[in-house]
Amino acid sequence: MAITSNHQSVRWAFNRPNGLLLTTIIAALCVALPILVVVSFVITGVSDAWSHLFDTLLGRYALNSLLLSILVAIGVVMLGVPAAWIISFYRFKGRGILSWLLLLPMAYPAYILAYTYTGVLDFSGPVLTFLRDAGAPDWLMSPLLNIRSLPGAALMLSLVLYPYVYLLARAAFMEQSANLMEAAYTLGQGRWRVLTRIVIPMARPAIAAGTLLAVMETLADFGTVQFFGVQTFTTGIVRTYYGFGDPVGAAQLSTLLLGCVFFFVVFEKASRSKVRYYSDRLRKLNQTSVVLTGWRQTVAQILCILPVFFGFLLPTGILSYWALFFAEMQSMWSLIVSSFFLAGFASLFIVMVALVICYANRLYPSQWLNHTTTFVGLGYALPGVVVAIGVLIPFGAVDRFISSGLAPFGVAPSLWLSGTLVALVFAYLVRFLTVATGNLTSGLSRIRPSIDQSGRLLGLNQFGVISKLHVPLIRGSVFTAILVCFVDILKELPATLILRPFDFNTLAVKAYELAGDERLVDASVPSILIVLVGLVPVIWLNRSVTQE
Amino acid sequence: MDTAALMIRNVNLSYQDGLIVDDVTLGLKPQELGCLLGPSGCGKSTLLRAIAGFQELDSGEIWLDNELLSTERHRIPPEERGVGMVFQDIALFPHLTVADNIAFGLTGWSETSQYKRIAELLDLIGLTGLGQRYPHELSGGQQQRVALARAMAPKPKLLLLDEPFSGLDTELRGRLASEVRTILKSDGICSLLVTHDQREAFDFADRIAVMHDGHICQFDTPFNLYHEPTDPFVAHFVGPGEMIDATIEGPRSVSSPLGLLTNDEDLEYPINSDVQIFLRPDDLIHDDDSSYQATLVGKHFRGAHHLYEVKLDNGVILGCLAPSHHNHTIGELIGVSLDIEHLVVFPK
Repeated sequence: MAITSNHQSVRWAFNRPNGLLLTTIIAALCVALPILVVVSFVITGVSDAWSHLFDTLLGRYALNSLLLSILVAIGVVMLGVPAAWIISFYRFKGRGILSWLLLLPMAYPAYILAYTYTGVLDFSGPVLTFLRDAGAPDWLMSPLLNIRSLPGAALMLSLVLYPYVYLLARAAFMEQSANLMEAAYTLGQGRWRVLTRIVIPMARPAIAAGTLLAVMETLADFGTVQFFGVQTFTTGIVRTYYGFGDPVGAAQLSTLLLGCVFFFVVFEKASRSKVRYYSDRLRKLNQTSVVLTGWRQTVAQILCILPVFFGFLLPTGILSYWALFFAEMQSMWSLIVSSFFLAGFASLFIVMVALVICYANRLYPSQWLNHTTTFVGLGYALPGVVVAIGVLIPFGAVDRFISSGLAPFGVAPSLWLSGTLVALVFAYLVRFLTVATGNLTSGLSRIRPSIDQSGRLLGLNQFGVISKLHVPLIRGSVFTAILVCFVDILKELPATLILRPFDFNTLAVKAYELAGDERLVDASVPSILIVLVGLVPVIWLNRSVTQE
Repeated sequence: MDTAALMIRNVNLSYQDGLIVDDVTLGLKPQELGCLLGPSGCGKSTLLRAIAGFQELDSGEIWLDNELLSTERHRIPPEERGVGMVFQDIALFPHLTVADNIAFGLTGWSETSQYKRIAELLDLIGLTGLGQRYPHELSGGQQQRVALARAMAPKPKLLLLDEPFSGLDTELRGRLASEVRTILKSDGICSLLVTHDQREAFDFADRIAVMHDGHICQFDTPFNLYHEPTDPFVAHFVGPGEMIDATIEGPRSVSSPLGLLTNDEDLEYPINSDVQIFLRPDDLIHDDDSSYQATLVGKHFRGAHHLYEVKLDNGVILGCLAPSHHNHTIGELIGVSLDIEHLVVFPK
């Protein structure tokens, strides 16, 4: 029984590289910073302008934001649910193409749609000239003339945001098991009863989740409402900060907006937790769909083509037409280079941070790490305006501190942080980190623990598991994460507008400035570029979804 | 003990919410096919993870071929243990071909010897010529055999199998368990299977350790587990059967509702003590000529035989095997007799 233990071969198996955990904590603090900064002003007391704000403008901001949210909620449901319903349950000519054409409006930021329709519906523009010549009645002309209004903004936002509802509702309809519907039929229920008692109730959490996402985007929107002159929380924040020079008031308005957003986040999470009642093992509903012919087919086609036409085909046609034949644009190339450089660098950086967080979660799973990651996820719900204000205030304070420290050495005061790309990349990190972690987590979660364990037992150490197994397996997810971040950054307007260094322009900012100068035709060039790049992930993601 | 390939000594394992494996000691001989059999939550998979090196020990030791793998303070990393494992969810690398999966652990082998080993294993698992396929192009049974080949390829000192058949359908399951046994026996590799399925364990193992609540109740051959269980849990878990009350009459005899029963050796209980004896359906057989009659209260047709449930005079219900063509109706009185060489006696 003399078994001598070889102590050389016996080693401590635990050597925890804490860099992963440290990075996760730092990322969480980064996301927390703007929130904490903004909220901290609630405690510091009321600014002078606040009572004025409260008396005159606050009610208007709140009412407009609320009205806009309600109208958009109605709009996205009306556009998204019928389309999802028709695509899921019926077969007709063009269904395959329409099912992904319906996603394309996602490529549009709402403000670009707003610029485009404003240009088209100009008093001397082609549409109204034609209608006037044709002797169209006033009741038709006046809403078209008044596109720059709250209902107009709601329409623009609905046209680009309905794909959220469409996507989630379509998934929910298609995931529903055919067996459930057939069980209901065998229990003697008619088609209408099955629809109202089985199909819609089961898809309701998904529809609600999509609608809430759209509402959160609506609350965060700045470009559209600003251009249409609708005074909401976001325009109010910018106006208070710049117009009244009152950072405290701006921060306090931001806190109110955050409160609303947080309310919706909680709602969205609650409805999403119910999204998973379907079983994927059962026979899928869409295999039993009804074939449509004749006039029914035409109706289905029209209902599906309408959102695509107004949300994508028409504006893209107009933008391309303007961009190709009329627009005057100098320095286009430098604009493209600076935009792509910024978005490319920032998205790579964000994805790297996200990778660290995902690995920290995978290698050292724990409750607090999970909570931290969920918290980091809140960043995406923060409106760009709020992030910008929340970054600008502390960074500006640091700038003043550095400047005053360097003043005795004869160094002129300068914007060391707040006027640089550091602030901008920081804001993007706060806002878009979730986009990256979401994509990577879903990629990593497909690699089951037993794959890692097999690798270990076949002679790999932890690093070998990552380089030989994970890298090839999550390459696609990493690419998707970079792509989605890239496009989100390219489209992001308010944070870029507020935080960009002096004289630094991106496509989104340029489009905003040109539109602000009423040079809508010239704005078409940066606009169409943003849309075209924005199309890439929409098509890419849809392709990978249908492949699976 | 010197001849043991795998030696697990006084091992305790726990998670945050408590002790999972409680003072387990177990040894496997070289080339032996062992099995950990038990209901879910008994700690068998945790023990397997500890042997593979994925789980820390609270106390105890794990040895393999005279090398100390784990103690409470030291743990050789999984990749240096020479232990192979086949997983419940198969876990083939989806981005690699069958051949590349099998070759994955063959680092440091020359290319020719890799080719040879791959071909040899593909032959062994009956998938000759399918080396260039991808895992998703194979059936579930084929995938599991590739996973086995991948784990065997680097010639591990010990092969662990964690419920490897439970993802497959029932018919395939039994066949594959015997197939895998043949493959492992021909390779002479010491293995340990974890399962909750008694039939799978019987098909596969030389010896089976029945686990319950973190303990090993009995470690024995399938035959002995079935016919000579030393623990009431084992008796009930491994196949059907019922307990009946009885009293010790003499050194080898017990009086029971079925009359006086005799054992093939001396019983370790004092005379007149109350005990329980455990009867399997194949201990009680249907015999039309028997003078002892019991009421038929339930019947299950099993094709080759009937499994009857009969009620004795004192109300005890027992299982009873009957030939397939003896078709009686429920409520009928039928003759039964005992066919027992060895009595399974437990204290009351």
